[in-house]
Amino acid sequence: MKGNLTSLIITAIIILLVVGIGFFAGRSKTSRSSVEEWSVGGRRLKSLLVWFLIGADVYTAYTFLGLTSSAYSGGSVAFFATPYVVLAYPLAYFFLPKIWKVGHAHKFTTLADYIKGRFDSKIFSLLIAIDGVLMLIPYIDLQLSGIQDTLRVAGTGYINITLVVILSFLLVAFYTFFSGIKAPTYTAIIKDILVWVIMLFMVVSIPIIHFGGWGNMMNAAVDQAPQMLTVPYHGPKGMLWFSTAALISAMALFMWPHTVTGVFSSKSAESLRKNSIVLPLYNIVLMLVTFLGITAFLVIPKGTDPRLAFLELIRMSYGGTMQGLAYSTIALASLVPCSIMAIGASNLFANNIYRDFINPKASAKGMTLVTRYMVFVVIGLALLFGLMFPNALISLQLMGVSGIVQIFPAVVFSLFWRNLSKEAALSGFIVGMAVVAFQYITHNNFGAYEGFWGILANIIVLLIVNPIFVGKAKERNNPVMETLFHSSAK
Amino acid sequence: MRAVIFVLALIPFLAQLVALPLVNKIHPLILGFPLFHFWLLIWMILTPIFTWFIYLIQKSRGGFDE
Repeated sequence: MKGNLTSLIITAIIILLVVGIGFFAGRSKTSRSSVEEWSVGGRRLKSLLVWFLIGADVYTAYTFLGLTSSAYSGGSVAFFATPYVVLAYPLAYFFLPKIWKVGHAHKFTTLADYIKGRFDSKIFSLLIAIDGVLMLIPYIDLQLSGIQDTLRVAGTGYINITLVVILSFLLVAFYTFFSGIKAPTYTAIIKDILVWVIMLFMVVSIPIIHFGGWGNMMNAAVDQAPQMLTVPYHGPKGMLWFSTAALISAMALFMWPHTVTGVFSSKSAESLRKNSIVLPLYNIVLMLVTFLGITAFLVIPKGTDPRLAFLELIRMSYGGTMQGLAYSTIALASLVPCSIMAIGASNLFANNIYRDFINPKASAKGMTLVTRYMVFVVIGLALLFGLMFPNALISLQLMGVSGIVQIFPAVVFSLFWRNLSKEAALSGFIVGMAVVAFQYITHNNFGAYEGFWGILANIIVLLIVNPIFVGKAKERNNPVMETLFHSSAK
Repeated sequence: MRAVIFVLALIPFLAQLVALPLVNKIHPLILGFPLFHFWLLIWMILTPIFTWFIYLIQKSRGGFDE
């Protein structure tokens, strides 16, 4: 099957335009003058930019393609993502300002930095860093497979897809290396404007094209596929799965290395608070797009690969220019988030692995360079794994959210609970990870989201172990605890 | 006041995670959405209002650090 030349050209132009903006964003030399400038923009970003840094992460190629394909094959279970992205922010409202405050006072750029300062433990910090990098690289690969699928449908017969994927990721690595956090911030603005305009246009026009309107489409769905409009009560993906998946994903959102980077870039705690209040509304497009997965089920030929359901629906509905605009939006939603993900992972590598364990005497200038060069290592590793062992990655990708959320008790509880001991937080984390791993190995989730059982075990162990070490925890005092618990007593 | 904040914070979670079996239905269709999806949509709008109330309470009491 031949691709579509018009849509391929439009995709190429828009990607190049955004790459240009990525470089332009860092034209000032300060952007790369220090780790703090490069990775968290000198902690000077205003509310509006923070909005895009912590809000735009939700709109990735993986969410568009993943949620529509899961709605296409499983119906309404895919809508777990709606409460997920809504509830992530009221949670964030309570703990992000605190994380920001310690981060600001002690110049942290990663959560592993915080753990090291809070519990005086480089080993604990190392485990958090490894967990972050290990879960993030497969996540970057999910984006990579998003752009691959898009190019495959649009460009077959015209281009060498693997080559184009490698080239576009290298361009992203270069502009991230050059501009630092400014690159994903400014490119995210363009991406999100395109996402809103194009996706809303599709949500309105696709039902009109195939059914005459949204109401008619819904009636057709009620007639032809009522089982897709509610969530089943039993089975591996029923109601319990839906609720626990939403809760765990919401808890996990700000545990990701790249979302934390956005948090630390903020100018003030107040701006994080205000953003957290309003951001749930921003996700309405995501919910409406998920419906298009059900539309695809009604419209496209049965037996289409669910991965390609959304792309197929777009191709059948439009073709030509509009297909090009839609595909380039998805391609951007794949490339743009990789930039901030690479920054998050590079910080972990450089600070919590390289400086703490390999070269403790690294100078500030040396650290800046190491952090920046790590972008190529991270994106290179993602490309290597993504292109060479796509199958080996699948289990890690599935583990992503469940694995990253296991740091939640150590990170968030310790912000509020002075006498939480290092030993309790660490044993909870380890047991939680083990429980998650066990479920993936045995392929049994006991009807709930894997990370849920992990978090449950994590917290129970933490509560049992803490009384044993509470004496030690009471004696512990350090600058980070001073910031958290002393100033607030005033 | 801490109790009020706690309740305001808890309600959106109960509505969107625990109460779902009560609304897991297609009919009535509201504004072109099955009841289940309409419920999720409404809470997307209500959740910010709840958080905003919490913000107002905390602000009027002069402190976010508790």
